Amino acid sequence: MSTAMTDAGSDAGQDQDDRRPGTRSRAGLLAGSMVGLLVKVIALGTLNATSIWALTRLVPAGVWLGVAFVVIATVAIDIVYLSRARWSIALKYLLPGTLLLLAFQVYPVLYTAYISTTNLGTGNILDKEAAIDQVVATSVDTTGGGDGAVSFAARPAQAADGTLGLLLLDERTDPPTVLVGTESGAVPAVDVTFDGDRVAEADGFVALLLGELADLEADFAALEVASDEGIIRLSTLNRAALVAFRLQYDAGTDTITDVTTGTTYTPVEGFFQSEAGERLTPGWEVNIGFENYRRVFASEAIRGPFLQVFVWNWAFAVGTVVFSFVVGMLLAITLDHPDLKGKRIYRALLIFPYALPSFLTVLVWQGMMNRNFGIINDLIGLDVPWLTDPWMARASVLLVSTWLSFPYFFLVCTGALQSIPRELTEAANVDGANGRQAFRAVTFPLLLIAVAPLLISSFAFNFNNFNVIFFLNRGGPPIAGAQTPAGSTDILVSYTFRLAFESGRGQDLGFATAISILIFLHVALFSAWSFRRTARLEEI
Amino acid sequence: MGSTSLRRWFAEVGWRHLVGISALVFALFPVLFIVSSSVNAAGTLSGSGLVPSEFSLINYRELLDGTEAPFLSWLGNTIFVAGGAAILNTALAAFASYAFSRMRFTGRRTGLLSILLIQMFPTTLLFVAMFVFVSDIGGVFPSLGLGSRVMLLIIYLGGALGVNTWLIKGYFDTIPRDLDESALIDGASHAQIFFRVILPLAAPILAVVALITFVFTLNEFLVASAVLGQGESEQFTLAVGMFRFIDGQGGEWGQFAAGSVMSGIPVVVLFLFLQKYIVSGLTAGAVKG
Repeated sequence: MSTAMTDAGSDAGQDQDDRRPGTRSRAGLLAGSMVGLLVKVIALGTLNATSIWALTRLVPAGVWLGVAFVVIATVAIDIVYLSRARWSIALKYLLPGTLLLLAFQVYPVLYTAYISTTNLGTGNILDKEAAIDQVVATSVDTTGGGDGAVSFAARPAQAADGTLGLLLLDERTDPPTVLVGTESGAVPAVDVTFDGDRVAEADGFVALLLGELADLEADFAALEVASDEGIIRLSTLNRAALVAFRLQYDAGTDTITDVTTGTTYTPVEGFFQSEAGERLTPGWEVNIGFENYRRVFASEAIRGPFLQVFVWNWAFAVGTVVFSFVVGMLLAITLDHPDLKGKRIYRALLIFPYALPSFLTVLVWQGMMNRNFGIINDLIGLDVPWLTDPWMARASVLLVSTWLSFPYFFLVCTGALQSIPRELTEAANVDGANGRQAFRAVTFPLLLIAVAPLLISSFAFNFNNFNVIFFLNRGGPPIAGAQTPAGSTDILVSYTFRLAFESGRGQDLGFATAISILIFLHVALFSAWSFRRTARLEEI
Repeated sequence: MGSTSLRRWFAEVGWRHLVGISALVFALFPVLFIVSSSVNAAGTLSGSGLVPSEFSLINYRELLDGTEAPFLSWLGNTIFVAGGAAILNTALAAFASYAFSRMRFTGRRTGLLSILLIQMFPTTLLFVAMFVFVSDIGGVFPSLGLGSRVMLLIIYLGGALGVNTWLIKGYFDTIPRDLDESALIDGASHAQIFFRVILPLAAPILAVVALITFVFTLNEFLVASAVLGQGESEQFTLAVGMFRFIDGQGGEWGQFAAGSVMSGIPVVVLFLFLQKYIVSGLTAGAVKG
């Protein structure tokens, strides 16, 4: 495997192998490079074959962005791994991760930004053409008896293969046209046999006699023939009525007209809308600019809960970091005593809350905090509304998130304390400082220097700590009067999730991504600020 | 032991045990509760206490039967996705770190900074875009569309070049370059230096990064739920499945507890096993859920 990426520089070096004991012989290296070459040929061959197969699917589907990515990525990989040039060495190590980063990190970020300027969501998931088809096709009242103005002389018929059809005589033309109507539509018949003035047979469909109809009556009653004008159904056994589409699309003016009332619907923000504001559903996906962002701030019913979520998000993240740091640090200091026995046992057991998967432990807390059946209320004999009262729920969230994170700070503080030389505190003691003074003047500042970057990354992590919020209480209890699904313990990311997948008005993906972008901007600002505070970047 | 020396012992050491034991009670209470619930014949939340009213393994048996939920599928999917992500992400990050640590090329600094910048947009926040993106992909490649575990794994690989790369690069930087140079003189190629010299020496940080990635992926709910949530429940990961399980039918507390114990034990064992590496990795800046 290793020699798969040999470059020119290593060939010269191989000459020395024979003389060096302990390294592989020249023959061994050659064999290794043969295996390497084989692996490389197979890997690149598989990749190229897969890419070509992918293109045979992407090109007919017209996904040009995907085509471009596959072509460029494949060519780049081929060139980089086949090249023996010096410039290709770094790329051999960087390319796979970078391509994945571009496809599944950079592109989704840009896609998020794009979706945030659309109305994508339930009711606006189709493209415009599909939406028009659906609006028109559903504009007949198929429950009625079919009292359309147009009707045809009709005979139930059946083809040799059992397919049911209607033999229709359209008398609006002269001479009358014979149509064969089946589930898949109505087509003019080519080969027609008449029995008097009635159609007996057309295009292989033979009219059924009354006796033959008995078993099929229900099937014929359910048969709907979709023609261009509307839907044709049997009204009696020898007449069929045309129920016209109520809505007609006119491509010239790009409007939909209701032929029964004369109302005209024009496209507005992804819906056909009448002048009175009535919308036809479904709508389609359309770009609406910054409307989603405007909604966040414009409507009081959205802005109020949003700001509440925002403030709580900060309080939650800061609170979690502060509480767990203080608890973890005090515990680390307490248990960091030379004469204390069982330190290892404490450390091994205290790791549990941190090591266990948080989605499980938070769900366990949810059960324990259940007001009626939970063990906590059971043990203390009280009726504490742990998760149902807004302020209690916030306190519970902080309790659980502290439970999750304090072992982390306990571990890092223990590590940091051990790296602080004992001489320093001893020197302080010699200078007459008592334990507390030595801690405040010597140990604590050193500890803080070691832990400060971790406090920031812990904050950044907790700022979006979805699991605690959502699994403990689904962000609830709900904020009264909120127009969007916002809860008292919701943080921005859980709020976004509920907007996207749990909103009462269906999925509101455009609005949800707008909130995501606001979180991004906010995190970016915070990170920029914290980078300036730490000199980390200068080390690269 | 005289009462004065006992008092001195308590003032110096003993009270520390009191604090330590209180911390243990706080830390382990939920753990004891869930273990007890899992072996409690009652099987309901209200019937569960710290001590099982009647010891029984029925919850385990019923859960493994798979009549209520395909628990073993969830476990298998989670091991596939989280294990795959842990190994592949660590490998990809180690490759990139080698280039960043040992090679000097144009765009190196820009690359490192871009990685940091892009990571400000955490993968989990991209779940809406992932949902639409994967549903688009499913239009062309149905087997990779919504509901596909493989697609979920591939998505997680997008985060390989991130904090992990920084962590591993930092560790590589501490490995003396003399080692590379003497290997180079011995005729080793850059690939041989990477695989035979650097990687073995970096085992501790690689173990930590793999573990952290494993646990992060195991806990990841948002993207997993967006990608798998509308598909077959056999394709769920534990996070998605267990949440739906307990959310839909709170009565199955015993089975949920049994599932939690079975999924939790391997992770705890891993942690205890790697504990001494973890502390150093954590101090270097690793964060997990």
